[in-house]
Amino acid sequence: MIIKGGVVYDPANGIFGEEMDICVEGGKVVEDARGEDIDARGLLVMPGGVDAHSHIAGPKVNTGRIMCPNDGRMGIEPRTDVCRPSTGYTVPNCHAMGYRYARMGYTTAFEAATPIMEARHTHEELEEIPIIDKGALTLFGNNWEVMECVRDKDIGKLSAYVAWALRSSRGYGVKIVNPGGGEAWGFGANVKGVNDPVPNFDVTPAEIIRGLAKANELLRLPHSIHLHFNNLGKPGNYTTAIETLELLKDILPSRERQVVHVAHMQFSAYGGTSWRDFESKAPAIADYFNQNTHATMDMGQIIFGNATTMTADGPLEYGNARLLHAKWSNHDIELEEASGAVPLIYGRKMLVNAVQWAIGLELALLTKDPWKVLLTTDHPNGGPFVNYPEVIALLMSKAKRTEEMATLNDQISKRTTLAGIDRELDWNEIVIMTRAAPAKVLGLRDKGHLGPGADADISIYDLLPGKVDPGKDYQLVKKALSQSLITIKSGQVVAKSGRILAVPEGRTYWVDASMSVPQADQERMMADLKEKFDRYYSVQMSNYMVQDAYVPHPMVIRPQPFDQSAEAKKEVA
Amino acid sequence: MRTITLRPKKAFDIPVEAEIISPDKLAGLSLAQIGSLEAWQGNRTNKLSDLFSVEGDDVPVKPEETTVRLEGDFSRVKRIAENMSEGTVEACGDVGMRAGNGMKGGLLRVQGNADDWLGREMRGGKIVVEGNAGNYAGAGYRGEKCGMRGGEMEISGQAGAYLGEHMCGGSIKVGGDAGDFPGSANQGGIIIIGGSTYLPGAEMTKGAITIRGMVEMLPSYQKMEQVMIEGANFQKYIGDLVENGKGEIYVSNSAQQSP
Repeated sequence: MIIKGGVVYDPANGIFGEEMDICVEGGKVVEDARGEDIDARGLLVMPGGVDAHSHIAGPKVNTGRIMCPNDGRMGIEPRTDVCRPSTGYTVPNCHAMGYRYARMGYTTAFEAATPIMEARHTHEELEEIPIIDKGALTLFGNNWEVMECVRDKDIGKLSAYVAWALRSSRGYGVKIVNPGGGEAWGFGANVKGVNDPVPNFDVTPAEIIRGLAKANELLRLPHSIHLHFNNLGKPGNYTTAIETLELLKDILPSRERQVVHVAHMQFSAYGGTSWRDFESKAPAIADYFNQNTHATMDMGQIIFGNATTMTADGPLEYGNARLLHAKWSNHDIELEEASGAVPLIYGRKMLVNAVQWAIGLELALLTKDPWKVLLTTDHPNGGPFVNYPEVIALLMSKAKRTEEMATLNDQISKRTTLAGIDRELDWNEIVIMTRAAPAKVLGLRDKGHLGPGADADISIYDLLPGKVDPGKDYQLVKKALSQSLITIKSGQVVAKSGRILAVPEGRTYWVDASMSVPQADQERMMADLKEKFDRYYSVQMSNYMVQDAYVPHPMVIRPQPFDQSAEAKKEVA
Repeated sequence: MRTITLRPKKAFDIPVEAEIISPDKLAGLSLAQIGSLEAWQGNRTNKLSDLFSVEGDDVPVKPEETTVRLEGDFSRVKRIAENMSEGTVEACGDVGMRAGNGMKGGLLRVQGNADDWLGREMRGGKIVVEGNAGNYAGAGYRGEKCGMRGGEMEISGQAGAYLGEHMCGGSIKVGGDAGDFPGSANQGGIIIIGGSTYLPGAEMTKGAITIRGMVEMLPSYQKMEQVMIEGANFQKYIGDLVENGKGEIYVSNSAQQSP
């Protein structure tokens, strides 16, 4: 297949809107190919979208579905020859997620949080999401074994556990959610900051985060630690954010990437002392990111309307439910995590929501380097992912932002700096934030670019960058991006003008780092685990691990151990 | 004034989803165009003319000048007058589930009985049922915070359980008895029940329920003063205290004892 004459954006390879051909063969981008031509003259061509933080599968998503039968009434589409029926808006059914991502031109999405113990469910749902490639990040921040290793300052044993747990959950990376706070929530409490000790464990969140970051680098995992801060969602929490990032400054990355990725930064960029004097501290956060290189973030932009919040941060959801008098689900996962889900509505006239909306945009616009900010809505916490084109239109057009702000609570200009920001992102920056940077942040070498060897995941939009001025024609931009003209996944045309043409099975990425673990560490760790399963877990270890049968389309990444430095640069896939 | 008359051509075994039967959707079409509209029955669509005979005036008019008459048995025809905003739908017999679903205006008159979910999440207009209504009349869909938000509903016969659940506004008048739990989670609606009922107003925070027949009250209601309504004595209650509610329940003195 040759995609001919499109205006190509491939920032990872230094291509910024050049007219060129792209050759595809065997599901990969190649130098030269034969076969059918796709005439892309006058069209915008870019790599398939990569969503590095989205809640698309697992028990909490299902809890959201169970709590919100009313959500199932939205987004109803009957079956077609190739598609199964779709339902839902904030918590769509599994198939709908695949179709909707593909229609937008997205071809990869990562589930952002799965407890090891419930990973089997996550993989069952991931397997039912067609078309896109996916993976799941595994939760570690409130795990007893992790906290005990950190307390004993035994990073070798901790690394052994991380490798074992990633294998057990068929997980891709280390997710940390409100470290220590989830454990404290088991006793109805929370931790108040990074130096507040976790009840019964004699460790602090700071120690947990640093310990896991060190283990992450010792194992040379493709992704860095993926962190949901303490105090998330609380007024004044930007100090916690900066304090936490400062903790990680001296840790050396084992690869060319960040040391920490901050999830949904918007929820941790709050000033004020209460919801009454709540204000944006996005400028301070953006400033920090501008001056430091060890961290990346994703926006966590909110979208007005319905959302379903779901997180392993149990105490946060309790607060949400009490504050909003909303439905509340609460869950405890044995030795591992807490979690909760609360459906809510973001209102334009609600000052807090309007400020949250502005903060997400401020973060993206005030951070100079687009490689440091990924575009997300923390689906479905800030709003469903189908709204990404809306977010892009907002980032590309000052006029659109001004128009939107006129419909919001009028206090917004006093509480945020958004009105004073003139920056309008260009196509290059948008392609970085939605394609190149998420792939780099996750450590996916074959995604997010169109160089030879890359996966042939390509999206083509009916829009000519030179002809359309996104600053003025933001409606055209939103419309074109909402429905790709053609989406290609692994060299196959899967969607055309919003119609799904084929539903291939996507692959599931997971990381097997077991070969980096010394035998002695492994043995000490297994002795610990045996005791934990004997004494505490409700399941046997043999029933705990996700079996291969649950991941029938695996893509296993095996990081090479540190000492084989000559070979280290080459990944075995 | 234009009248369009629909008559089922057969007894339906599988229910018909007939959200298309509403003056808003039919008024501007000729009879032939109406006949060629589609409605789902089970997992396939049918032409309206295959399901119903379509008769009456042929000249398109505005919805407010249109009456859709339903003659025969419509008890297995669902979603009649869904989202209707103007005009009249007159059913001579029974209607199926979810009649008047999300109705915004106009009049739906049912001479027979209505099935469950009558006027679910209705926002305006009027529904008159001369027979009985099923469960969840004026309620909200599963998981939805708000049921009926406005408009009027009059049921001459009896109503089923969960009458006006999650109501946020509007009024419901029932001539006979109402089933269990009327007005639960009421947030501002008015319900008047001519007959008896059981445990009204659970989790009610605003609005009012008047009961003329026998009732058993929830223990989470506080007894207040006696009040006169239309010349009769009523006992006033405030609740539901479980939700710090300010809802009001008035129970007729003449038949107040618990069953």
